[in-house]
Amino acid sequence: MSEPLIVGSVAYSPNIVTIWEGIRDYFSGSDAEMDFVLFSNYGRQVDALLAGSIDLAWNTNLAWVRTVAQTDGACRALAMRDTDTVFQTVFVARAGAGIGSLDDLAGRRLALGSKDSAQAAILPVHYLDHVGPGADQVQLTRIDSDVGKHGDTGRSELDALRAVLDDEADAAAIGINTWEAIGREELMPGAFEAFWESPPYSHCNFTALPHVPEERTDPWLQHLLAMDWENPAHRPILEMEGLRQWVSPQLDGYDTLFAAVEEQGISPRW
Amino acid sequence: MVNPGLVLDLVQRVGAVPRYATATVHAGPGDPGELEAIVAAWCARTGNELVSFDAGAAVVRRGRSPDPLGELAPDHVPGTRLWMYTNFDCNLACDYCCVRSSPQSARRALGVDRVRRLATEAVAAGVSELILTGGEPFLLPDLDKLVAACTAALPTTLLTNGMLFRGRRLDILRRMDRDRLTLQISLDSATAGPHDEHRGRGSWERAVAGIRIAQDEGFRVRVAATLPYERSHQQSAFHGFLDTLGIAATDQVIRALAHRGEADHGVELTLETLVPEVTVTADGIYWHPVSADHEDQFVTADIFPLDDAITEVRRRFTETRARATAAAQWFPCA
Repeated sequence: MSEPLIVGSVAYSPNIVTIWEGIRDYFSGSDAEMDFVLFSNYGRQVDALLAGSIDLAWNTNLAWVRTVAQTDGACRALAMRDTDTVFQTVFVARAGAGIGSLDDLAGRRLALGSKDSAQAAILPVHYLDHVGPGADQVQLTRIDSDVGKHGDTGRSELDALRAVLDDEADAAAIGINTWEAIGREELMPGAFEAFWESPPYSHCNFTALPHVPEERTDPWLQHLLAMDWENPAHRPILEMEGLRQWVSPQLDGYDTLFAAVEEQGISPRW
Repeated sequence: MVNPGLVLDLVQRVGAVPRYATATVHAGPGDPGELEAIVAAWCARTGNELVSFDAGAAVVRRGRSPDPLGELAPDHVPGTRLWMYTNFDCNLACDYCCVRSSPQSARRALGVDRVRRLATEAVAAGVSELILTGGEPFLLPDLDKLVAACTAALPTTLLTNGMLFRGRRLDILRRMDRDRLTLQISLDSATAGPHDEHRGRGSWERAVAGIRIAQDEGFRVRVAATLPYERSHQQSAFHGFLDTLGIAATDQVIRALAHRGEADHGVELTLETLVPEVTVTADGIYWHPVSADHEDQFVTADIFPLDDAITEVRRRFTETRARATAAAQWFPCA
């Protein structure tokens, strides 16, 4: 049996240890055992991946884009959550504020999440430029509450929503997961309403570099894809990690972010 | 409209605690009923658990409490086995008897009709084994009928001190179904002294004789010993003795002395520390056979329908574990 694959992940929630110990236990005894290493931010994790001190990285979409940039594309995406294939950015405003489209943001205040959050900062600017009035026509308020974690904590998006409630912003751009977590418009009717939702794009994936051969990653990948929502032993891990099924990566779902990173001159590193 | 930031606070505060831990979120001004309804709706939608809502403060558990029943081994789930106290009177007066049985005890018999109905309902309720105990069941003149009602329904174990296998009672034993019945005979030591000290002079010799009679009659015999802490180091010698009697290793049961009934010391067994085993007596349903005449572990006077009684025991177990978990969260260190 080969050495266990070492998977890197960023510790963005107190449940991360539980999640990864559960995943490690799931792989225990298989022909693709693994262990994990936690990082405080994605910059440090991608550095470790490039240095070879981890074999795989559980990367956000921005971390994937930066890995591609730093390896000239010599990296592989192995798998993602089903929810990663249909991620969206949602623009919300106070209900009844009279904002019905991105164009309505011209001259108004938009609260964005952390500057390294693809869903709450980088892609929203891209959408304003391409299907809205242009980012330079909107007064942007950046809330950098969790820089380094690419918006994973959701904290900056909640703060952006609070800015709207406090009338410090007219609208906020958030990820679909945060929109779901607050119950969309349904839990608190009259508080928020969504006025624009982006096309779906891809979010996280497991990233490998060429020095980790497919002979090592394939058994691991097959075992990962075999996790079963209907299996009571697997479901708690899947629930905590926010998916029902691991799936093959949809790489074209990153095209918009590649374009946004290039347009906005976002550094390929950190 | 209530505080619109409430749900944002819930997402942030609950998201910041580990799974199964609780977070307290102050709901802010507004109608308490409306606020609680929002918190409850958010919890239901997000898979979290509203533990309490009091004075505007919502206590929310991240995730839902694990089902205590689901965490038990399948054969430990209450209702897997059904205990029946056939009677409470006994030919012995053991000084640690958990239900205070003795020759002076009132019989308090379940009777063949109730035992038969229990056995029938046990099958429908998913019980996989029946266990008859007392008192000393062989004091009952119709014990063979009780046992037949049970063995016709399910595999059955009959607890006895093994001292009465002669004459009419031996005939009763011989009428029992050897394929469906296991006899569990009480024997506390490899020599007479420790056993007789608690159970009465001469009782060890008669119990050993009873084991041999039951084996000669073709019954599977399990031996169960009650061992006070001060004799817990004597187990290997006892197992060796039981080996010489031909008792299979899996049929050698040694249990700790419980601080219940006549016992003046022993392991403390409470609702919080004891996984229930549904136990039926003439007086009703109890949590566990070790506490079958103790008010603190009385569940209900309604023996029938048995399925309801089992459901009630499981409900109380779940409730007790949830309360214990919540208390563990609250206990302050300073």
